[in-house]
This record gives sequence, structure tokens and C-alpha cells, in this order.
Amino acid sequence: MSGALQRMAEVDGLRSRLHEAGYVADRDLAAAILLMLDLGRPLLLEGDAGVGKTEVAKALGATQGAKLIRLQCYEGLDAHSAMYEWNYQRQLLAIKMLENDGRSVAQKEQDIFSERYLLKRPLLEAISGEKAPVLLIDEVDRADEAFEAYLLELLSDFQMSIPELGTVRAVSRPMVVVTSNGTRELSDALRRRCLYQYIEYPSFEKELAIVELKAPRAAGELARQLVAFVQEVRRMELRKKPGVAETLDWAAALLRLGISTIDDGGAERILETLSALVKTREDRAGFTREVVARIAAGC
Amino acid sequence: MLIVAPSPPADPQALLRSRLAGFPGFLRANGYGVGGGDSALVLEAAQRVGVIDPQVLRWSLKALLCGRSDEWRRFDALFDAYFLPPNRKAFVEGFSPMPEAARGRAEGEHETVPGQPGVEGGADDGEDARHGASREESLASTDFSQLDRGEHIRDIEALMRRFARRLRHLRLRREARSARGLRLDLRGTIRRSVSTGGTPLRLSWRERRRVRPRLVLLLDVSRSMSQYSFFFLRLARALSAELADVHSFIFHTRITAVGGALRDPDARRSHERLHLLAEGWAGGTRIGECLREFNRGTAPRLVHSRTAVIVVSDGYDTGEPEVLGDALAALRRRARRLVWLNPLLGQPGFTPESRGMQAALPHLDLLAPGRDLAGLERALPRVIEALR
Repeated sequence: MSGALQRMAEVDGLRSRLHEAGYVADRDLAAAILLMLDLGRPLLLEGDAGVGKTEVAKALGATQGAKLIRLQCYEGLDAHSAMYEWNYQRQLLAIKMLENDGRSVAQKEQDIFSERYLLKRPLLEAISGEKAPVLLIDEVDRADEAFEAYLLELLSDFQMSIPELGTVRAVSRPMVVVTSNGTRELSDALRRRCLYQYIEYPSFEKELAIVELKAPRAAGELARQLVAFVQEVRRMELRKKPGVAETLDWAAALLRLGISTIDDGGAERILETLSALVKTREDRAGFTREVVARIAAGC
Repeated sequence: MLIVAPSPPADPQALLRSRLAGFPGFLRANGYGVGGGDSALVLEAAQRVGVIDPQVLRWSLKALLCGRSDEWRRFDALFDAYFLPPNRKAFVEGFSPMPEAARGRAEGEHETVPGQPGVEGGADDGEDARHGASREESLASTDFSQLDRGEHIRDIEALMRRFARRLRHLRLRREARSARGLRLDLRGTIRRSVSTGGTPLRLSWRERRRVRPRLVLLLDVSRSMSQYSFFFLRLARALSAELADVHSFIFHTRITAVGGALRDPDARRSHERLHLLAEGWAGGTRIGECLREFNRGTAPRLVHSRTAVIVVSDGYDTGEPEVLGDALAALRRRARRLVWLNPLLGQPGFTPESRGMQAALPHLDLLAPGRDLAGLERALPRVIEALR
């Protein structure tokens, strides 16, 4: 049991590669990703909306040189639309063409239910590539329990059965990232199968690093001020707290309006851009000129 | 394979392994959902990442053994308690679970548990799980143990089953394949047309299937409700067992999820967990604030357009009625239905005149009595009608 030093070096190496790919990762996340690659297990990411869960998969794909395949879950998503679909139009055409063909029904059937007429949906696509892709199963909590159970089966065997074709086994094991916003409690079985990472809103330092990476034009004093402002806004009691994406949007909006410093004097202009940061009517109502000036003065 | 030796051998490597292999068990005792195979996984992970740097080991085991956010938050303290020597002792001493003995000491009401240095903040759930039964603070009168008292059980069980059965028929709509329906099912039609040379003689359809709504129960366990809360907790437990998508919370001065505790198959452990979830709350009931907290924290993730929220409370709120009204209004916007069961409503001469109830009334789909079995039985059809 040695190699802790190498491991720490690997963790830092992965972090810097993630940084190059445009993602600022904490060390514990990097360590979890390494373990995920080692053990070949899916990684379950939880956290509030806007903390950058989806970005993890994208950056991971970039660092591994792997294709990103995304399955967006939604209420009512069934296994079929996530796995595969037959190309009906082509099948119908083929049936018409085969009409006067002397072959038996069984042969025709075999022909029109062959891989040529198969439309691969994300799950099938993820297990049929030569090179292991990153499979992002986004917001798995939006899909229902039945789908989750099916997913679990896929994640343990990496094979799926298509009644007309037979069983398809994974050519290479995809790196699976599952995200959840907690719309629904996930099953213990799914949780047990996955490595887990809870992502919090970024600290001041981390968010500053993100802004400097993603919005280099805002770097310097403005970046520091706007991050301090957002951090303060997050401490307020809001229905929807601004995520990292909102911070970046807001930074872009400020730059666009040529605002280069945040202070209480510029509260009017800050108010104009605030729609990038605060996105419900109730929350917006809380941001009067005085409130904005007070927060800005503290930045 | 690496197996934990019964008495730790002197070999430091083996000692370390047995220490590592014991960690999942320690977490399990602290309420983590780790399984039997996890010891081997811990050893494998340790093998890969090394154990010299505790940070890397911590991060790796954290990812490996946590499954939900509360486990995530408590992990660091437990890791320190287990692997870092000074804290470990205090922690492990309190670790011999003696439920029988502890239950006998129920009178030790305000006893505090000393000597848990450095771990209180992150680990109180786990720590309390072992002391919970010996400490009954504010909820001394809310006797959760009656949950399993013999005499009423059969009646209650029967009612619960009836209720759950009827809820099972309560469904909202989703689509599925069927013999007849509104929308053509292309996949099925093509499949059928093969035998007729591609002419779709027999059509296949999709029909709207019904899906059960999600139920969210918010139970008031304040002192004024103490006579009734055992009954409703029982109801919550039966519903959790019978139906898949039921989420229960208790509130008093704060609101807490109790789904895990209710689902615990071990009845005794279930009580203990409920006890510790509710203990230490003092002061008046703050229904409005609890609901506001619920709206802010949990509701966005839990309550959706096919969720029925059932609040069980007597409506005696020490907070501002406006807060309650606003919170209920917000909840009502999110949910499909909002039903309030008030145990006092069944009493002769009672009218819902408390300020809390007055603030609540405009936002409810249904206000029904829920005083005893018979009352609930009578209210049942109306509740189900409202949830439909």
C-alpha cells in the first residue's frame, strides 16, 4: 500500500488538465474521478442547480479525449427512447420493396429488423463505440423509478437486449457520470453502485478562479468584486440562488455595459444587469436600489 | 483475500488492513447505507491510492462510501474519529449499542452525553443513534413507542391497508402501449405489419396509462399534537411501506425528513431514529416557518405537479399567521393538491378559528378532521377525492 505521493501528484495532474479543459475542480473531486477511472464505476454528482455538475462530464470527456454522449432525463422518459428506436420510414419502404421478393416472412423480418434500420439512442450509442466515451446521464432524478431500475441493470452489466436483434454487449465500458438535483429520492441500489460527490456552491477563491478562467476580460479587480457580490447574494434568502453560470452571464453583462468597477455609486447600472443573476420575480423584488448599493459597497 | 483478523495481529500492514476493513462497519453503525462488500472495496481503493497521505485516502473513501448529501457532510468527522487516534477512543466507547438497557433509562431526560470532542458538529446523527433512546427531551409526551403498542395495531393496520389500497387506484396519466387508444404506436404497428407484407392491417396504439401521484406528508409533532402524532406516524410508516413514492417529514420548531427512519425495517431502531430526529426541540410550534423552510430547501426538489401534500396539524402556530399563509400559498402553487388534516376538527364545538388555521384556509384544497380512526375513516373518501 504505497504510492500516496504518486496519487497526490496524479490528483494535481488531473486538476490541471481539467483546468485546461475549462473546469476548476477541487482536489476531492479530482480524487473521486481518478477512483472512478480505476474502479470503472459510475460517478453520481449531487448538488444545487448551477454548481457545475454537468460541466464535470464535459471536462472529463475533454481530458480523456473521449466523446461525450449525453442522455437528458425527463419525466416520462422510457427505456426505449433512451436506448434505440427503429427507423420506421426506412422499414416501411423496405417492406414495400420486399413485397414481391420470394423470401419467407421470417427472412424479411430478419432483414428489416437488422442493424441497418436501428437508430441508436444515447445508451446504446454509449456501449457500442470502439473507444470508451463519457456517458452523461443528466438529471436522473427526473426520470421515474422504472427507468432508474433499467439504468441500474445497464450500469452493472453494460449490455442491453434488443428483442429483435439479441443482446448487445459493450465494446468498451463508458465512463458514466450521473447527475441529480434531488427532484426525487434516488434508490439505494443506484447510490450504492455509484461513487458519490456532493458539489457545493464554490467558495470565493474557487469562483474567482472560474471567472478568471472563463471570463478573462473581467480579470483583476472587477472579477474580485463581482464574485464577492455574487457570494453575498447567495447568502441572501432567495428562492433561486445564482449558480456559476449566472455569475459568468452577469460578468458578461457587466463587461458589455462597460462597467469596470462595482461600487455603491453605480447601483443603478448594476440593477440593469441584475436580470442575469436573479431570475425569479419574487427574488428580483428584494433587490432595491438600496440593497444593491449596500452589497456593492461591501465588495 | 484480506480478511479482518479477530484479534489484531502485530504486523502493522495487517493491522492497517483490519482497520480499513472495519471502517464500513463503523459507518454502517452511524447510519450509512454501506453494504457487506464494501470492506473489500475499501481495501482495493486503499491499495490504489495509498494510505500515507490521509487526504487522498479521505477523498477516495468519501466518494466510495457516501451515497447521499447528509452522509457526505458527516463523513469528514467520522473519518477523523475513526482514523485519527485521539478522538477515536471517545467515539468508539459510545459505540456499543445496548438498546434494551437504554430503553430502560428513559427517565434520564435532560442527560447530556459528555466527552465527544471534536465530532459533535458533523456526526450528531450517528452519535445520537446510540443514545437516542435514553434521551427524551421535548417529545417526552409524544410517545413514538406507542407506534407498536399491541391493542390498536390491528385496527390501525387494517385502516392503513385500506387507505393505501385506495391510494393505489389513484393515478395520473402517462402513456403506454395498448390494444386501443388515441395515438398510433408506430413501433408496434410496423412489428405487426411484417406478417402482412408491410401493409399495416392491424394497428397498434398508445394509450394514457395512469401514474400514482407522489405523496408528501408533513406531520406536526409538537406537544399539542402529542396525542395524535403517534397515530399519524403510524400512518406515514404504513404508507411508506405500501406505496413507493411517499415522503414524510415531521415538524415542530424545525422540519426534518423522517423517510429513512420510517422505512427502517427494524421497528425498534425506527423509534430510536424518530426520537433522535425530534429530540432537543423546544419552544412553540412554528408551522409557518417550518413550511417556509420546507419550501426553500426541500420542496423545489420534491414537490412537483403530480404531488399531493398532506399537512397534519392542529394549526396552533406561535409564529406570524402571514408567514404560514404565504408558505402555504407557495406550496400550493407547486403541488397538485394541498390537504390539511386537523385532529381537533372532529371535536364537538370546535371551529377552526385559530389565527393559523384562518391564514391557512384560503390555500387548502381540503380541510378534513383526523382525530381518530373512525374520524379518518369518514374523512378518507373526501381526502381521496381531493387528491384525484
